[in-house]
Amino acid sequence: MNHLVFEVGTALVLVAIGSIIANKLNFSIIPFLIVIGMLVGPHAPTIGIIDLTFIQSNEIIQFLGRIGVLFLLFYLGLEFSVGKLIKSGKNIVVGGSIYVTMNFVLGLVYGKAVGMPWMETLLIAGLLSVSSSAIVAKVLVDLRRTANPETELILGMILFDDIFLALFLTTMSGVLLAGSTSFFGISLSVLTSVAYMLLFFVIARKGAPLLNKWLNIKSDEIFIIVIFAILFFVAGFSETLHVAEAIGALLLGLVFSETEHRDRIEHLVVPFRDFFGAIFFFSFGLTIEPSTLIHAFWLSLGAVIVTLLANMVAGMIAGRKAGLSYKASTNIGLTITARGEFSIIVANLGITAGLNPILTPFTALYVLMLAILGPLFAKESKTIYKLLNKVFKWDKKLAKEKEKQKERVEVAEK
Amino acid sequence: MNIRESELPGIGYKFEIITRNKDKLVIVIHDDGRREIYHFDAEDYDEVVSSVTLSDQEARQIAGIIGGMAYKPKALETIEFAFDDLIIEWFQVEPNAPAVNQKIGELDIRNRFGVTVIAIKKKHSQKSHNPGPNTLIEAGDTLIMSGERQQIKEIISHLLSNKE
Repeated sequence: MNHLVFEVGTALVLVAIGSIIANKLNFSIIPFLIVIGMLVGPHAPTIGIIDLTFIQSNEIIQFLGRIGVLFLLFYLGLEFSVGKLIKSGKNIVVGGSIYVTMNFVLGLVYGKAVGMPWMETLLIAGLLSVSSSAIVAKVLVDLRRTANPETELILGMILFDDIFLALFLTTMSGVLLAGSTSFFGISLSVLTSVAYMLLFFVIARKGAPLLNKWLNIKSDEIFIIVIFAILFFVAGFSETLHVAEAIGALLLGLVFSETEHRDRIEHLVVPFRDFFGAIFFFSFGLTIEPSTLIHAFWLSLGAVIVTLLANMVAGMIAGRKAGLSYKASTNIGLTITARGEFSIIVANLGITAGLNPILTPFTALYVLMLAILGPLFAKESKTIYKLLNKVFKWDKKLAKEKEKQKERVEVAEK
Repeated sequence: MNIRESELPGIGYKFEIITRNKDKLVIVIHDDGRREIYHFDAEDYDEVVSSVTLSDQEARQIAGIIGGMAYKPKALETIEFAFDDLIIEWFQVEPNAPAVNQKIGELDIRNRFGVTVIAIKKKHSQKSHNPGPNTLIEAGDTLIMSGERQQIKEIISHLLSNKE
C-alpha cells in the first residue's frame, strides 16, 4: 500500500502520454488508451519500484474508471433532450430508426450466426449499434465537415442512437443484473427498469421548477458538492434496484437537462468526464489479456465487416430519403461507423453480469478497428465515393434525375 | 438572401446562406467561440471551395468591418446604430435643404425635434467637428445625430432634405 499514490500517478502518466501521442497524430484518444492499458496489464514487467502491472492499485484504478462511466453517461443525459429531437425533424427520426434497426437486426443475426447464446447475442447487437458520439464529433470538426449539408443528419442520427442506447442499457441492465432466468423473473426486472426510467421522466417533467429553486446556489463550491453528491447517491441507489449505476447517472442527467442549471452543470462536469473517462478507457485496457485477443480476432473482424456494410447501406438510405446527394449520403455511412466509448460501456455491463468473458477482447478489438477505420474512411470518403460510383453508376442516375427535373420544369412552364 | 439556421448538437450552431448571386456560404459558430466560414462551389453545393477559421475576437472585428462600422461605403447615405430606442444616424445635407447656411442654434434643433447633433463632418475639410450653436450647416455636410427614430425622421424631412 506504500506506493499506492505513486502507482496511480504512474498510470496517469501513461494515460497522459497516450493522450499526447494521440493528439499529435490527430487521433481520438480512446483507442490509444485501451492499447496502453492492454500493454501494461497484468503481464507488464516491474522496473524497480515502478510496477506497471498495477496490481496493488488495480482496484483503485478500476474504481476511478467506474466513476468515468458515471460521468460519461451523466453528460450524455444532460446533452440528450427529447425537445431537441422533436425539433430536429422527420428526416432524423426516419434516418435514425433505419440506422438503429438495421445495425441491431444485423447484430442479432451475426450473434446467432457465430453461435452465441441469447444474452450474449443481444449484447453484441447492442454494442454493434451504438456509434461513438465523441469520435464522430471530433472527425466532423477535424475534417472541417461541420458546414456540409449532411452534418445535421449525422449529428441527429447520433442523438437518436444515444436515445436507443439509453433504452437498451436500461432494459438490458434489468435483464442481466437481476440474475433471474425464468421468463417471469426477467419480465419483472425489465418492468422495474422501465418503471424506474419513467419515474425519472416524470421527475424531469414535473419537478423542474422545484429543482430550479433548490439548485439556485450561488457558490460554485457548494453547487459542485451538491451535484456530485446527488450523482453518486442516485447511481449507487440504482444498483440496489438492479438497475446499472450508469443508468442511474444517465437518468439523473436527463432530469437535470430539463432545469435552468443545465449549462452550468454541463460546464462543470466536462473536465471530470474527460479525466475520469480517460481512466476508464485505460482501465478497460488493463482488464484485457493480450493473449485472448487472438481468439477474438475473427469474431471481431466479422462484426467490423457487418457494421461497415450496415452503416453504408443505412447511411445511403437515410441520406437519400432526406434529399441529399449520393456523395453526401456516402459521407454519412462512412462517418458514423466509428465505435468507441458506448460500445465499451455496453460490453462492460455484460461483463459485470458475468456473461461470456470473450466479450472483453472482442469489444476491445472491435472498437479499436472501428475507432481507427471510422475516421480513416471519413477522411478518404471522396476516393471511396469514386470507387463506389464506378460500381453503382450514381453519376448517371443523378444526371437522369436532373434531366427529369428539367423536363418537369419545362412542362410546368408551358 | 436565404438564411437557414440549425443546431449542431455537441458542436455549435450553423447558418447556411444562399446569396442573391447563388453563392453558398456557411458560418459555423462553435461552442468554444471559434467561427468558421465556408464558401461552397456554386456548381456543386456539396463541395467546399475555401474556408476560414476565426477566433471570437477576430470574428467580431471582421463583423464590424463587413457591417461598415469601421469604414462607411461612400455610396450609402445613412447608417444606423441602434441602442434600444435611441439611434445614431448619419445624414448628408442635401443642396437647397431648409437648413443650409443656417446655424444649429438658430434652427433650435434640440428643442424643436429632440435630436442632438453630436458631430458634423464638413464637406470640404473631411474632418469631424464637435458642433456648437454657432456651427454653420452647409450643403454636403454630414450630420451625425442621435435621437429617437421618429424624431430623426422628422428632422430629416423638415430640415435636411431637399423638398422639391
